[in-house]
Amino acid sequence: MIKFENVNKYFDQHKALKSLSFELPEHETTVIVGPSGSGKSTLLRSFNLLEQPEEGLYSLDDKVIDFAQPISEKTILEVRRQTGMVFQDYNLFPHLTVLKNVMEGPLHVLKEQKLIAAQRAEELLELVGLSDRANYYPNQLSGGQQQRVAIARAMAMNPKYLLFDEPTSALDPELEAEVLKVLLKLDVEKNSMVIVTHNMAFAKAVASNIIFLEEGNILFNGSPDEFFNHPTERIQKFLSAMTFEDILPK
Amino acid sequence: MKLVMDSLPAILEAGLRYTIPLSVISFIIGIIIAVITALVRISNVKKGSTFTRLLKIIGKAFFSFYVWLFRGTPLIVQMFILFYGLPRLPAPYTVEFGAFSAAVIVFSLNVGAYASETIRAAILSISKGQWEAGYAIGMTHTTVLFRVILPQAARVSLPPLSNSFIGLIKDTSLAFSITIVEMFSVGQQIAARTYEPMVLYCEVAVVYLVFCSILNVGQYYLEKRTSRYIKNT
Ligand SMILES: Nc1ncnc2c1ncn2[C@@H]1O[C@H](COP(=O)(O)OP(=O)(O)O)[C@@H](O)[C@H]1O
Ligand SMILES: [Mg+2]
Repeated sequence: MIKFENVNKYFDQHKALKSLSFELPEHETTVIVGPSGSGKSTLLRSFNLLEQPEEGLYSLDDKVIDFAQPISEKTILEVRRQTGMVFQDYNLFPHLTVLKNVMEGPLHVLKEQKLIAAQRAEELLELVGLSDRANYYPNQLSGGQQQRVAIARAMAMNPKYLLFDEPTSALDPELEAEVLKVLLKLDVEKNSMVIVTHNMAFAKAVASNIIFLEEGNILFNGSPDEFFNHPTERIQKFLSAMTFEDILPK
Repeated sequence: MKLVMDSLPAILEAGLRYTIPLSVISFIIGIIIAVITALVRISNVKKGSTFTRLLKIIGKAFFSFYVWLFRGTPLIVQMFILFYGLPRLPAPYTVEFGAFSAAVIVFSLNVGAYASETIRAAILSISKGQWEAGYAIGMTHTTVLFRVILPQAARVSLPPLSNSFIGLIKDTSLAFSITIVEMFSVGQQIAARTYEPMVLYCEVAVVYLVFCSILNVGQYYLEKRTSRYIKNT
């Protein structure tokens, strides 16, 4: 379970997260949506402490972090052990082959044996459909392939929570489809997922829970049915903008 | 022509005994100093316990001072201070070095000062996303540094560091001024004896050129090896 209580995050004067409180249950897929600059990335990155809010309480299962206090290195590493992240621009390690990218964490963080790590990496590459690219370098892959490697790399650490920050925003529609296909295969029984996306069809399909952010506030936190079928006026406006309904001729 | 052939063994011997060992040893020590200097200078003073933060601030000041000092004074002056100056200090402070050690110290510290800036820039050129990708899979700062950042920074800094190495090989000729009989001084001695300065100095120049060209070839292969992951290579 991920739980925030009155969390505030500032960038200098600018308040990026405004007293957020919510709870994300385990084994569910939460989708975070909202306009650009609304704080989606900041929120997601707070979950693995890449951003550290200044105020509020953060509970990750039985671990409770008070953001007002300095967070110890040990706590940070423990939180990151529980979470995996997939970035918008992949951020694969360019100097390592695909296989080595996936093995890097198991080998040098979990100190797994090489053979075991390699075997698991190969299984994951199979899952994301890239077995035949194991010895390629990231620069030799398309964006969609790189992002699928990034998913395998995150999963290799067996995180309890998988965090996706607009994983398909940098991709053409066809490549987006191949990444979404992989995301649909992921097992919610094993991982809880939090996904930031602009793809409403995908959100509708996978979300068990939707959070709508605007200017650092949560304007909606509830079921996809309510979000898409009974939207408030503000959400309706956002959804129309997403499908360009508001500007295209009728 | 006979003169060239006759003098070549002596010049080459000086090269193998002094120029090359002096360059190689100084460069290796210099790079180690450079990496340490760069790492201290980019460390984040806002992170860590009060004690580590204090240590970082002092370290930063120390290494910045060192880089400033060695980049801002001529190599030959540093060499003279170390070799001729320090032994003449009043009694308890006298420090004496052999000529070779003095040269290694000065050359290493010079390489360290210049190369530290190269390495610092190379580390800073690696995108923030690489750090975050490492952190996100649970790496500590040190692990990200050594597994993710430095290997990429090494590639970026290879061409400028090769430049430093070539510069160093040529600079070792200055060691003649503190009594080391490296290639240039041997050439000078023979030139004085035979009254053929043109021939001898050109010969010395060619030998330097050969040494540096060998290094160029080495750089080429190293760059090729480390750039495998870059598109179109
Ligand atoms: N590192 C930063 N420094 C300063 N302001 C930032 C930083 N990161 C994000 N912000 C600001 O915080 C707000 C939320 O950003 P972000 O979380 O990236 O939004 P989103 O992901 O929803 O587009 C924006 O106004 C953005 O400009
Ligand atoms: Mg964002």
